[in-house]
Amino acid sequence: MGPALRLSMVGAAAAIFVAACGGGASTAPSEEPSLAPSGEPSAAADICTSPPTADGKTLTFASYGGAYQEAQRKGWLEPYAALTGITFQESEDSSNATIKSQVETGAVEWDVVDVGNDFGLDANAALLEPLDYTKIHKDEILDGFAGTYRVADITYGVVLAYNTDKTAGAVPAGWADYFDTAKIPGKRGVYDYSAGGIFEIALMADGVAPADFRPGGPAYPLDLDRATAKLDTIKSDLVFWGSGAESQDLIGKGEVTMSLMWNGRAYSAKHIDNKPVEIQWNQQIVTADYFVVPKGTPNKDLAMDFIAWATCAQNNAAPSNYIPYGPTNKNAQPAADKVPDLSVSNAATAAYFDDAWIVDNATMLEDAYQAWKTR
Amino acid sequence: MLLLRPFSPRSGRRPHVGLSINRWALLALPAIGYLLVFFLVPLIVVSLRSVTEFPRPTTDSLSNYARFFAAEANLRVLANTFWVAAISTIACLAIGYPYAYLMNIVRPRIAGLLLIAVLVPFWSSLLVRTYAWQVILRDTGIVNSFLLDTGVIDEPIPLIRTTLGVILGMSQILLPFMVLPIYTVMRRIDPEYTKAAANLGAPPLSAFLRVFLPLSLPGVLAGALLVFVLALGFYITPALLGGPKDTMISQFIANAVQRGNLDWGIGSAMAVVLMGLTLAILFVASRFVRPQDVFGSLDEGS
Repeated sequence: MGPALRLSMVGAAAAIFVAACGGGASTAPSEEPSLAPSGEPSAAADICTSPPTADGKTLTFASYGGAYQEAQRKGWLEPYAALTGITFQESEDSSNATIKSQVETGAVEWDVVDVGNDFGLDANAALLEPLDYTKIHKDEILDGFAGTYRVADITYGVVLAYNTDKTAGAVPAGWADYFDTAKIPGKRGVYDYSAGGIFEIALMADGVAPADFRPGGPAYPLDLDRATAKLDTIKSDLVFWGSGAESQDLIGKGEVTMSLMWNGRAYSAKHIDNKPVEIQWNQQIVTADYFVVPKGTPNKDLAMDFIAWATCAQNNAAPSNYIPYGPTNKNAQPAADKVPDLSVSNAATAAYFDDAWIVDNATMLEDAYQAWKTR
Repeated sequence: MLLLRPFSPRSGRRPHVGLSINRWALLALPAIGYLLVFFLVPLIVVSLRSVTEFPRPTTDSLSNYARFFAAEANLRVLANTFWVAAISTIACLAIGYPYAYLMNIVRPRIAGLLLIAVLVPFWSSLLVRTYAWQVILRDTGIVNSFLLDTGVIDEPIPLIRTTLGVILGMSQILLPFMVLPIYTVMRRIDPEYTKAAANLGAPPLSAFLRVFLPLSLPGVLAGALLVFVLALGFYITPALLGGPKDTMISQFIANAVQRGNLDWGIGSAMAVVLMGLTLAILFVASRFVRPQDVFGSLDEGS
């Protein structure tokens, strides 16, 4: 017992040490060109290519783990650490609730957090630092994807994916076919979350134009009675999934014929799991993950520097090389062979969430959803 | 070392008069301290939060509770929580009582193996076991694949996303909590009683029903209470094996805490409601169940 335990503790300590020193250790600080001028006006201009050095500093980055965070690590964290000498500590369990508890208890451990589209708006102002748009190039970010407290770091699509074995050659053209179990039989997977798109797809299937779904668009406020009436028509065929991994498993196994899911998960089902899964981009909902900075972090300035750098045109598309999630900077150029798999490249007939309305009405939305679901 | 000096409970009295506290009780101090800091304090914080934190400013300190009871879905899910817990308890009893009885009548070595068999699942995580049930129960899972391949059925029979699925998953996880108290009580029943009944002319069934079964009832009550109370808090199993109508209150609490506008006020109120109902059940049950039957040892000398 003794030696085995000690060995595993040494291993754990070594792992922590390596994790803590990863990246930073590979940069020799003395060779760092010290061309970064300290003059404020030009700092913003240079931040994309030569961000301020931060030798010996540590920044804690929280995201959602797995292949997603791996892509962010390779695309952003490692290059940024090499450029600046900063050391990243990572957490793989980003959650809005954790941000709230860290801020409320005054023990803020996360400096930069990747959150979903249901967080980071004015309703969450008490928990977040306003972003420093003297550093971040707001005008280059896709319209509507940069707010007071959050800026989108990657874009993805809430798409209709289908298992071609189960559809037997039929190609669902959009959400109307998702709701038509007579035309294409089989179960339908859906995200078990009121703000995850379930009401939007029901309304699109019922005839509301995708273009009506956008911040301030005519589809908002959502007509929940109409949406739940439409959902009732296929309620017994719905399979509710709670995590991206679950959706990937359901569609890959053919447990569901079609699913509302995130395009990266559909991509993984096809290309990683080698399952007969395809994406219908028509009527997808283009949305994003966002960087936020929890209120009260002692590393606010370092966090702003990193966010500004990672959303620059030169740097923003780097994770797309590792996962089919797209950039948010209009001028970012993903590698040509990655472009066809990105949500933003297939957005001609896309819908968009009105996140502000969704967040302001979160309680009402969730209550309506649970009332319908458990009925 | 002073703390560890043995003190014989059999003598009933310590050598010199003074504090009548058994020094061994001091060993419980770390546990009590732990419970105070990591259980009681958070419990108080949650209770306070339910009457102080609101999504919109209000003067009604009970507004979270008012909102909770005003929403029909909450009441439906609360009722379902008690329903599923009750069915799980009955399922555990139906499997657990014969199992404990078997453990009681076989040779000690076999009883030991049976004990291990019921405890082994404890050593793998609840999540892993629930996923295993998914693999067995899903439409493309082991049971349905077999029945489809052998031509018994044409369409997958609904096993997953049903109440049946939830009950199967929950009772497998909860079974040890039923078996162990029943077995503990059965071990304390003097085998001579049943023999005496037989000697007096009772047929085996009658001897069991009129002598053994009543004597084992304290274990049944203890096991049922333990399983029922634990079942009330289940979260992962109904989420992964149940359908929308099988939602339990813990899932709602998690939703309130993690999602939307992080409405921890109503989440706390839900938790307090569940805790209050659980305490009420424990209070009523405490009149029928002796703690030593729930947590008792196999010490037959007492």
